[in-house]
Amino acid sequence: MKRLRLDQWTGQLLLARPGAASVSASAPRAVLRSTTPLSRCAAVRCQSTAAAASPSIPAQGTPEDEYIDGTDHARFPPLENLPPRATSMPSPPPSRALESAKLAALHARLALPEKLPLQTLARALVDASADPSPDFNNSTLAFVGQSLIHYHVGEYLMCRYPRLPMDILYAAMKGYAGHTTLHHVARSWGVEHAAAPGGEVDPGLLQFSMHKPGDAITGFGYQRAELKYLRKYNWRHSISSRIVFDDDFGEIVDPEAQRETLGRRTDTQYGDAFTRSLAERAYANCTRAVVGALYTHAGREPAKAFVRAHILSRHLDLSQLFAFKKPAKELSLLCAREDFEPPVARLLSETGRLSRTPVFVVGIFSGKDKLGEAAGPSLEHARAKAAMNALKSWYLYSPGEHVRVPSDMLAEEAKPWEPVHIDVGEIIGR
Amino acid sequence: MTVRALQKISVARNGVGAFVLQCKKMDLHYCDWAGSSKGMNGFIKSLLPKFAAAHPQIEFNVSPRPAKHPVIIAHYINGREKAVCVRNMEPFEILKKAELLRDASGEKLRRVTKPVSSINESVRGIWSPYHGEGMRV
Repeated sequence: MKRLRLDQWTGQLLLARPGAASVSASAPRAVLRSTTPLSRCAAVRCQSTAAAASPSIPAQGTPEDEYIDGTDHARFPPLENLPPRATSMPSPPPSRALESAKLAALHARLALPEKLPLQTLARALVDASADPSPDFNNSTLAFVGQSLIHYHVGEYLMCRYPRLPMDILYAAMKGYAGHTTLHHVARSWGVEHAAAPGGEVDPGLLQFSMHKPGDAITGFGYQRAELKYLRKYNWRHSISSRIVFDDDFGEIVDPEAQRETLGRRTDTQYGDAFTRSLAERAYANCTRAVVGALYTHAGREPAKAFVRAHILSRHLDLSQLFAFKKPAKELSLLCAREDFEPPVARLLSETGRLSRTPVFVVGIFSGKDKLGEAAGPSLEHARAKAAMNALKSWYLYSPGEHVRVPSDMLAEEAKPWEPVHIDVGEIIGR
Repeated sequence: MTVRALQKISVARNGVGAFVLQCKKMDLHYCDWAGSSKGMNGFIKSLLPKFAAAHPQIEFNVSPRPAKHPVIIAHYINGREKAVCVRNMEPFEILKKAELLRDASGEKLRRVTKPVSSINESVRGIWSPYHGEGMRV
């Protein structure tokens, strides 16, 4: 597998450090933006807390300097010391990250190393729809994290299930690393979201907006030349072409549709399916951003261990993902290809043939070896199930749970690599 | 005729890879006037700092609730809360209650009748009348 040069991509993350030189972005564009991008050289915001600390600000805050939240601050002094003009900032300034109990609790709950500062974790919780500036939102971190997650999940699945059909592999990738799953992962960490983003919210809350456009984290893939016809006439696109052109989930790369989705924001303040999908996307990007932040500060091995512990430790039963069309025919083609004797279905046992609830147990044999067996209410049904079981036992072959993956070789003093089983492929229909 | 896929989401198994403590926040309410809050005030002064330092993954929020009994409300990741009234308790008893809340998962209390609960199928397999020697009638 081609080694990802992630050190080139994280260079722009160092822009947020004071005094760092402005690194020109020669790396691939991490985000697809629907609005015009802000200047990348502005590492310091216009409204910064450094201005508040300067002695030129008068001791009694003038009404313009105090943050506005609709209450009378003389009668009801605010509970926390917010910087002036906090409500006019799109996201909390990084210095506030050190004062948030929620953020510190999240840091400890995920057992993140000391190397990962709270300010970066706070940045990972700010979605691009809350703050459009790429120096203060999580879009770049989410891009790095997404690449890492897809890489580790992909290599694990390919090494653990070498014969898995491509469509099942795509579904498994989605099951482990898709938007919905990563949304569940973020929720399982106890991440909550703020009702609306702003400079005054707790930095430990996920901040995203339903009303402003965000960024789409681009993945790897090519835009097809026939994209217009695919959409308009619903042309068939084969699985082989998906491997070459489409993204890591086998979905078509369509920048126009993505931009249109980004621009479409909700006009309701109540929850519906669309607002739920926006929230799902924001939570998923937060998960990716945490992985990206961990890689940036702690390196490759901690990030890999984190992905394994939080994402790959989840349980997904791949045998439930298969949907066959003609399993008996497919099995006979498989036996012909592998030079097995042609499969024969035999009735192993039955009961109640003339009753309301018969059970037929059918086994499929190739010579003297039983390939698969199943019970069903009718002979045809049982034979089809037995063929499906035989095919599943072929496709779900695994050398074991603790299988070596290519990224193990990046560690120092790794044992010599033994090649994994590379399969010819699944049975393709005629 | 190629195999097509159904879509499914993976299920979390807390503790298999990484362990995430389910208690994410504890609100402690005390009262300076009520006598039932004496133990709670002592707990907050003496035992709470060490307990909070030992559990950095829990967010602690201490606030007065005047003229009410002292209470600890724990918030969990599944969205549920558990409140324990600690009126007239000694500090060490309150510590035990706090530990009980920390160890809880947030799920409703339910009676467990089976010894094992698992998502894996049984190791020895489920008995089938169609395999083996059959049944003599």
